[in-house]
Amino acid sequence: MGLTIAIPKGRLGNKVIEILKAAGVGNSIDEDSRKLIFNNEKQNVEFILLKNSDVITYVENGIADIGISGKDMIMESSGDFYELYKMNIGRCKMSVAGFKGKKVFKDDTILKVATKYPETARRFFNSRGQKIKIIKLNGSIELAPILGLSDVIVDIVETGNTLKANGLEVFEDMYDISAVIISNKISYKFKRKEIKEIIELIRREDRNGQID
Amino acid sequence: MNFLKIEDEMKYFQKMFILRKEIENFLFEEGYMNIEPSIFEEYDEFTSVNSRIDKKSTVKILGSNSDILILSPDITTGIINKFMPRWDYDLMLKIFYYGKTYKYNGTGIKENREIGVELIGDKNPDVDQDILETAERIISRYSDKFLFEIGNSKFLKGIMSACSFNKEDHDNILDLLYLKNKQELSDYLSGLKYREPMATLSNILDLEGTFEEVTGKLKDLYLNEMMKTGLEELKKVDDYMKNITDKISYDLSMVSELSYYDGIIFRGYVQGSNKEIIRGGRYDSFTEQFGVKIPAIGFTVELDELLKVVQGGMTWV
Repeated sequence: MGLTIAIPKGRLGNKVIEILKAAGVGNSIDEDSRKLIFNNEKQNVEFILLKNSDVITYVENGIADIGISGKDMIMESSGDFYELYKMNIGRCKMSVAGFKGKKVFKDDTILKVATKYPETARRFFNSRGQKIKIIKLNGSIELAPILGLSDVIVDIVETGNTLKANGLEVFEDMYDISAVIISNKISYKFKRKEIKEIIELIRREDRNGQID
Repeated sequence: MNFLKIEDEMKYFQKMFILRKEIENFLFEEGYMNIEPSIFEEYDEFTSVNSRIDKKSTVKILGSNSDILILSPDITTGIINKFMPRWDYDLMLKIFYYGKTYKYNGTGIKENREIGVELIGDKNPDVDQDILETAERIISRYSDKFLFEIGNSKFLKGIMSACSFNKEDHDNILDLLYLKNKQELSDYLSGLKYREPMATLSNILDLEGTFEEVTGKLKDLYLNEMMKTGLEELKKVDDYMKNITDKISYDLSMVSELSYYDGIIFRGYVQGSNKEIIRGGRYDSFTEQFGVKIPAIGFTVELDELLKVVQGGMTWV
């Protein structure tokens, strides 16, 4: 039975493709071409290249059997799928950040939070008992406190360099983020062997590539 | 369900009618009696017996005394609520029904057509096998590429109660099992006070496959009486279903959205469909909430999804 694997385009996707090639399954993928579908007939695997935020949608609807998605996207979705393997790539943190020294939590006023991840931010501050107003943005989140749109931001922090360059700092790390292999639930029932085999191949290379 | 053309809509409902009649006739001939379920449930009553149900997804209605009702998200609950207070100990009911369930699915209210089968009060020890066979006979009539996934909630309950978690940890662990997220499960468990059965719990997600594969992995694992009972019940099912073992897969970590299952649980799938078509299990402990523990088992057939399978890939908007 053939497997269809959804891969995100972009930086994370390139690392995934590297691992797939090292694992000996992804050699049919040519990331420089404009094609979006690649077939590995010998191993009966098909790869589809998608925008990272669409991977979950394709997996959930059973178009792809498994896919690789960031944990940030997974936490933001309310989808129904399995989270089978947390990878070592795409590691970063989701954090609350703002102007240096500004007091944040348990303020009596409502905290204005700018973020690409409204659901995750709402859940986090809810568990802290902090009242917030969400301002949904799609990019350049760091600008929001600088221009007075929000008090703090909730965003992905890798090195912290962007924050520093804009005079911001991390107040608190909320969640560890990394790439996760997700699976459609019904595909998992019918193709469990194939799915577990490919995850095992990926897992070996994923371990090799990471020192920490 | 929306249709562009009236003809398409008529065709759909004629096919639905035939499908429904076929299954209803089969059940009637098997000696099941028909009942008509109510579409309303009391909100508090329903959510108190079904703690894992997503409360936001229920469709609420305000009664005349400002009491909150919901459109039934699960018909079995309503039937048990209705019958149990009047139950005579020696009664045995073999019933089936056609009904609709309702849920919010993010964009609106989702109506679901289903046929349900319940066997209440049957003390015969082979009932688990009989009901599975009935389910199998229904699904195999429409596709030979089907698969049953079978578990037993006693196994998970046995290990969870041996760990005696508090409610928050208990629910978080069930959520992680539901996602089959093994790494986060081990991380979560390593943050809790160590108890012996936890080592087995962190490996419970590997306990899936054929019955032999599952029992092969049980060596050196923690087992208590409740878990052993669960395994014995599955063994009986496996012995009985020998002729279709390639279409059965066991999963000891199976978590159901409805928390009343107590014993064998099963789901039926058809290849090419992206939803479960049959869902069922034993729920004796649910009847116990009304005083006496009555043996009860049942399943539902998702008609809309099954019709898609019958159509052979033809999709309706």
